[in-house]
Amino acid sequence: MNWVAWVLLCAVLVAAVLWPRIGAWARWRRARSLAARARREDALKHLLKTEANGREATLESVSGALQLSPRKTAGLLAELESGGLISFEGGRMQLSPEGRELATHVVRAHRLWESYLADQTGLTEEQWHQQAERQEHLLSRQQTEALAARLGHPRTDPHGDAIPEPGGQLPAERGASLNSLPVAAPAVITHVEDEPQTLYAQLAREGLRPGVKVCVLQRTPQEVRLWGHGREHSLSPLQAQSITVEPLSGQTLQDLQREAFLHQLAPGQTARVLELSPACRGMERRRLLDLGFVPGTVVSVEMTSPLGDPRAYRVRGTVVALRQDQARWIRVEPLEAAAA
Amino acid sequence: MNETSAPTLAPEVADLLRTAQQYRQRLQGDLHEQVVEAIYTEAERIVSRAVSSPAAPARPTFDRTLDRIVTSRLWGFPIMFALFAVMFWITISGANVPSGLLAELLVERGHPWLRELTLAWGWPDWLRGLTIDGVYLATAWVVSVMLPPMAIFFPMFTLLEDFGYLPRVAFNLDALFRKAGAHGKQAMSLMMGFGCNAAGVVSTRIIDSPRERLLAILTNNFSLCNGRWPTQFLMATLFVGALVPAPWSSLAAAAAVTGVAALGVALTFLVSWALTRTVLKGQPSAFSLELPPYRPPRLWQTLYTSLLDRTLFVLWRAVVFAVPAGALIWLSANVHVGGDSIAAHLVRTLDPVALWLGLNGVILLAYVLAIPANEIVIPTVLMLTVLVTGTPEAGAGAGVMFEIEDDNVLKQLLLQGGWTALTGINLMLFSLLHNPCSTTLYTIYKETGSLRWTMWAALLPLGLGIVVCFLVARLWQLFA
Repeated sequence: MNWVAWVLLCAVLVAAVLWPRIGAWARWRRARSLAARARREDALKHLLKTEANGREATLESVSGALQLSPRKTAGLLAELESGGLISFEGGRMQLSPEGRELATHVVRAHRLWESYLADQTGLTEEQWHQQAERQEHLLSRQQTEALAARLGHPRTDPHGDAIPEPGGQLPAERGASLNSLPVAAPAVITHVEDEPQTLYAQLAREGLRPGVKVCVLQRTPQEVRLWGHGREHSLSPLQAQSITVEPLSGQTLQDLQREAFLHQLAPGQTARVLELSPACRGMERRRLLDLGFVPGTVVSVEMTSPLGDPRAYRVRGTVVALRQDQARWIRVEPLEAAAA
Repeated sequence: MNETSAPTLAPEVADLLRTAQQYRQRLQGDLHEQVVEAIYTEAERIVSRAVSSPAAPARPTFDRTLDRIVTSRLWGFPIMFALFAVMFWITISGANVPSGLLAELLVERGHPWLRELTLAWGWPDWLRGLTIDGVYLATAWVVSVMLPPMAIFFPMFTLLEDFGYLPRVAFNLDALFRKAGAHGKQAMSLMMGFGCNAAGVVSTRIIDSPRERLLAILTNNFSLCNGRWPTQFLMATLFVGALVPAPWSSLAAAAAVTGVAALGVALTFLVSWALTRTVLKGQPSAFSLELPPYRPPRLWQTLYTSLLDRTLFVLWRAVVFAVPAGALIWLSANVHVGGDSIAAHLVRTLDPVALWLGLNGVILLAYVLAIPANEIVIPTVLMLTVLVTGTPEAGAGAGVMFEIEDDNVLKQLLLQGGWTALTGINLMLFSLLHNPCSTTLYTIYKETGSLRWTMWAALLPLGLGIVVCFLVARLWQLFA
């Protein structure tokens, strides 16, 4: 009788491993093929990005970007070439039209997915990239377009990068590293590099996002002191390296320091809304707009909660409470006359 | 674009879509935003032409003055606590009389009268037991204990809401809730939860941010509802009060009940904090809180709607669940298997686990059987204790729930059932920390539309309760 049980057990085990589609073997094969596809697509993505930014992709740069040994990278590139996705012309790696199309799709899917996470979920900034890194290989072209339509065809992702059109060009990244920005020259953040994650999380906590206007106050080898969004920040040069900025013409440091935000107003003060910072996005931004915080609106600080936060504002005859974290994204122009 | 070039589209339509697409590409910035701005600009233009507003009102209007006071650093919190203390006092003391009247009418008179009636009609014993002793008694009990406090608490609450005071409470307390990742309006559903958790869950509708609303729903059970206060008072008087010298006993009992309620509030914050960092991480969230102008409350309308929408709504759901539960309670005590009733078998099975948690099998079974309403837990406990200890002369018959007025007699009975001070204290804790009643669970399912969140709402407090009771039991063994 005993052997019957053993045979049954063996049969169950074999089935669990070999069963089509849901067996362990099939799962492992699928995971492997997905990982291989992800590697291929990541290599193409790297090629597209270096090309768009006028740099040259090499075996080393691909191996570095994918964190793959040079030997494996060489195999991967050979595989891409035989698949007709890349070509070597005069010793330089080039994307073929099919390769370019696929790479653009992957970048588009990645940035759209990040926009989706930023706009419609409560995931925090440091979680977007990781999720999008996986999702970019899973979204079909049709799903990507449906997603774009649902998001209202956004043009930039939450990090400030342009979302390429299908089959279109990938625009070069704008701006230069914060480390190369001269002292006392105002600039606007165009991009915050989301890798490595710990570094990105630190910058996100500082409230330094694309769209925030900054100006370097002082630079030492150990520290970059930075004016941004109504207060001072202190960054390490390594952190500053992750931030890309574009110079703002026609503005001075004093202009920047003179900028006032809703959360800085004194109780009873009245002000006119100038703009909603581009750094405020998604549901948060829509909520503020719907409450009537649009440029030109006159608001006054009505009262403060006993614990200091939130504060209530009078907007168009209604009283609305905002937390300080929200009010800081609203740039205002204090109206002295009405303050009284 | 894939979805626009579907083959079924007529060429003109596809053309039109392509043109629209091209225009869209040319637009800079966010479309939604431009539309909102355009709407506001247009509205403002119309208003400036068509509406003339009277000269600005004399500066400190009534609203402003009141707002300054109720949200001031000095007076904000004292006013809030005083108001709610008065509300609870009125509810608890005011409900006693009508509750007693209803119990007298429905339970003490109605029940024997119905028994006589069915006896006269010649109903068989089992039918009378099932319908009169089981279904009718459970329903009557739920109605008489549940109705009066809700009929007092909800109108008062609705009056405050109608007046416009409650948003100010949310405004005052938001900083605390923000630290736990929640919304200030959760203060309102929390307060409502003290009246009834099912109503508390419904009242979370005012929270328009999805994550914060789920938080408020999942933690509402930590507000000690009306149905659980009697259990707390009883256990505190019988067991906690007895731990200290007689002059202090009522004070100790009151402190114990307050402590349990405060523990519930503390857990609301703690669990909210933990949930936002784990399970609810991906849920979208945005804060907004409008502070509408004050207005005189409409007394009759308020009474009418709060009675219909809240009181009767909750009561109806409770009755719907009490009917089958009453039948089950009666059956469990009256169907015999191998010489013993099902209830006795279950109590024996549950006893080892329950004693390990510092409770006993009777309590656990009572919480399973009395899931429709916390109000009938104590009557069920008493019925089961009599059944198990074999002292039928103390009770009202197998499967018939009852209450004992005299505290000494009651305590004697419980001690006979093997209760200790630990059992009493752990019952207080377990009464706070266990799955919500079926009425609340059903409401949570209705509100979230998700079985998953309903399971969470049930298992989270239950798990916490088991852990807390276990720890208290171990500590008790260590020191006593």
